[in-house]
Amino acid sequence: MQNRFLPYLLTLPSLFLAAVVIFWPVWDLIQIATHDVNRFGQLREFSGLANFAALTADPDFVAALWRTGLWTVLVVGGALLLSIPVAMILNTDFYGRGLARVIVMLPWAVSLTMTAVVWRWALSGESGMLNSALIGLGLIDHNIQWLAQAGTAFPMQVLIGILVTVPFTTTIFLGGLSSIPDDLYEAAALEGATPLQQFREITFPLLKPFINIAIVLNTIYVFNSFPIIWVMTQGGPANSTDILVTHLYKLAFRIGKLGEASAVSLVMFAILLIFTMIYVRLAMREQRA
Amino acid sequence: MNLAKWTAGLMAGMGMLAFAAQAEAGEVRVTVAEYSAKTGPYFEQVKKEFEAKNPGITVKFEVVPWDVLLQKLTTDITAGTNADLSIIGTRWLIDFVQQDVAEPLDSYITPEFKGRFIDTFLSPSIMGGKTYGLPIAASARAMYYNKELFEKAGIAKPPATWTELQEDARKIKAQGAFGFGLQGKEIETDVYYYYAMWSQGTEILNKDGTSGLGTPGALEAAKLYKSMIDEGLTEPGVTSNNREDVQNLFKQGKVGMMITAPFLSNQIKEEAPSLKYGVAAIPAGPTGARGTYGVTDSMIMFKNSKNKDEAWKLMDFLFTTEQRAKFTQGEGFLPVNKEEAKMDYYVNNADLAAFTALLPDARFAPVIPGWEEVAQITSDAMQKIYLGGDPEAGLKDAAAKANAVLKK
Repeated sequence: MQNRFLPYLLTLPSLFLAAVVIFWPVWDLIQIATHDVNRFGQLREFSGLANFAALTADPDFVAALWRTGLWTVLVVGGALLLSIPVAMILNTDFYGRGLARVIVMLPWAVSLTMTAVVWRWALSGESGMLNSALIGLGLIDHNIQWLAQAGTAFPMQVLIGILVTVPFTTTIFLGGLSSIPDDLYEAAALEGATPLQQFREITFPLLKPFINIAIVLNTIYVFNSFPIIWVMTQGGPANSTDILVTHLYKLAFRIGKLGEASAVSLVMFAILLIFTMIYVRLAMREQRA
Repeated sequence: MNLAKWTAGLMAGMGMLAFAAQAEAGEVRVTVAEYSAKTGPYFEQVKKEFEAKNPGITVKFEVVPWDVLLQKLTTDITAGTNADLSIIGTRWLIDFVQQDVAEPLDSYITPEFKGRFIDTFLSPSIMGGKTYGLPIAASARAMYYNKELFEKAGIAKPPATWTELQEDARKIKAQGAFGFGLQGKEIETDVYYYYAMWSQGTEILNKDGTSGLGTPGALEAAKLYKSMIDEGLTEPGVTSNNREDVQNLFKQGKVGMMITAPFLSNQIKEEAPSLKYGVAAIPAGPTGARGTYGVTDSMIMFKNSKNKDEAWKLMDFLFTTEQRAKFTQGEGFLPVNKEEAKMDYYVNNADLAAFTALLPDARFAPVIPGWEEVAQITSDAMQKIYLGGDPEAGLKDAAAKANAVLKK
C-alpha cells in the first residue's frame, strides 16, 4: 500500500513549490484576463472572454502572433544549424581549444539587455560601427538606416537572437558529443566511412536526444525573449517588429490594459504548453521506435 | 499531519514578512523619477537636510528610471506596497484620481503655500477643483539651431515660420548637413508631430472632444513632415531616431535645427561646450498660430499612506524656494516657483528666456482617460507616414482608432 503512494509523496514538495511559483501566478492571470480590470490591476466585474475577443479583433496582435512564430523558428533553427558544426569543431582536439570555447561562450556571460544596447549603438545609422565598417570595406557607399524599417531591423534582430542562443545550444551539444564513444568512429573509419557518412550515421543519430532538448528549451526561451527586440526597436516602427511579449508589455504598462495583456500572456502560455507536449510526445515516440 | 504543521509555519512566516513590510511609524517613503545622474545625489542631500531638521522622521527615496516608473507604480499599487509620496507624469494623474489612489492635498495647502507656484504649472494638477499634485518638474519645448551651420549657409536669423524653416533646411542641406532633426521613435514621437499640427491651428482634441487627427490641419502638418523627409531635409532614417539620437546629432553639429526641451542646454554645456547654438521659438503656421508642448511632473500623496502628516512636511520642505532652485538648476527644468523665477540664474539666461517666452503658447497633454493609448496611436500613424505611407489614409485610420478610445 505504502509503496504505491510513496512516489507521489516524494514529488509532493516539488509540486508544492511548483504550485506556488507557477500555478498561483497562472491562476492570478486567469482572474485578471476574465475580468474588467483598471490600470492598477484591481478587478471589477467578470467579463468572460471579452478580453480574448478584443485580442483577436486587434490586427496588431494577430501580426505579432505570426511574427513570434517566425522569430522563434528562425532563431531556434539558425542557432541549431550553427551550433552543431561549432560544437563538433570545439569537440576536436586542437591547440587553443580552451580559448576558443571561452570565446564561443562569452556572449552567454553578458547580459542580454547589454548585448542589445551595444548592438543598438552598432546599428545606429549615422554613428554606428557596422555602417562605418561596411563603408571602410567598400561594401556600401552610403549609411544604411538599419533600425528605421522592419525590413532591415527584424533580420538583424534575428541574427542577434541566433548569436546569443548559440552558446547555450553549443554547450548542450558538447555534452552530447562527449558522450559518444570514440571507438565508434574508429570502427567506422576502419570500415572506410567518410567523415560525412560518420556524421550521418553516428554523430547525428546519437546527438538526437540532445537536439530535441535544445529545441524545446530554446523554443521556450526565444518565444519569451524580450530584451533584444525591446531595446533595439520597442517593437516599432509602427509595431512592425513586435512579438507577443513586447506587444504584451505595451498593452500592460504603456496603455494600461492589464486584462488584455493577461489574455496575451495566457495565449502564450497555452501555445508553449501545447508545443512542448506535442514535441516531447513525438520525440519520445521516435526514441522508443 | 506534518505537512499541515509545515504549512501553518510557512504561513505564519509569510505573515510576519508581510507585517514587516508595513511602514514604520515616522517613515516617509518616496518614489522619485531619475531625470539625470544628478537626481539621486540631490535626493540624498534632501534626506540629510530634512532628517536633521525633523528628528523622528526618516525618509526613504526610491530612485526609479523614467522608462519604468509607470510600470513600477502600477505593480506597487496593485500589490498595495506603494510609497507615501511619488513623482508621476501629470498626464497620468487622471487615472490615479479616478481610481481613488491619490489624496487631495487641499487640507494641507495654505494660501501662502499655493502662492509659491506659477499658476500655469500648478493648474494641470488640479482636477474637479481639488489639488492632487504639486508640480515638481516643469518643462517646455523650443527650437535649437546651430549658429555655425546657419552662418555657413548664409541664414541671418532662425526661421519664424515653417515655410522659412523649409528654405533654411534646404540651404543647410546644401552645406552637407541635415537641415531639420525629426524625431520618429519612442517617447514623444507624437509630440514632435503636434508642433507642426498646432501651427496649423489644429488641436489634439476638437471642441466636441473628438480626435483632431481627422482635420485638414492635421493632414497639412503630416504632409509637411513627409515632404521634408522626401526632399532629404531631415536626417535619414527618421524612424530609427529617438529624441536622444536627434539630440546627439545636434551636439555633433550634424543637424541644423531641432525642437526639444531645455535640458539640451545643460547637456551641450557638458558634452559639446564649443558648439555654437541658439534657442528660438517654434515656427508658426500660415495664420501665425504656434504651439509648444508643456509638461509637468507632479508629486502626489497616496490615499493609503499611513504617515500623511510627516509626508506633507517633506513636501513642504521640497517646495521651498531654496530646494526648488537646487533641483531645477541641476536638472535643467523651468522654474515652477515665483520667487525662484526671479533669481538671476533664470533672468540672465538667454536659453531659458526663449522657453519661458513660449509658455503662453504651451499646450499640456489633454486630461482624459486613455490618453496614453491615443498618443500611441498617433505615434504609430506618424511612423507609418514617415516610412512612406499615405498621410491621408494613415490619419483617417488613426482618427477612427483614437475616436473609438475617446468614446469610452
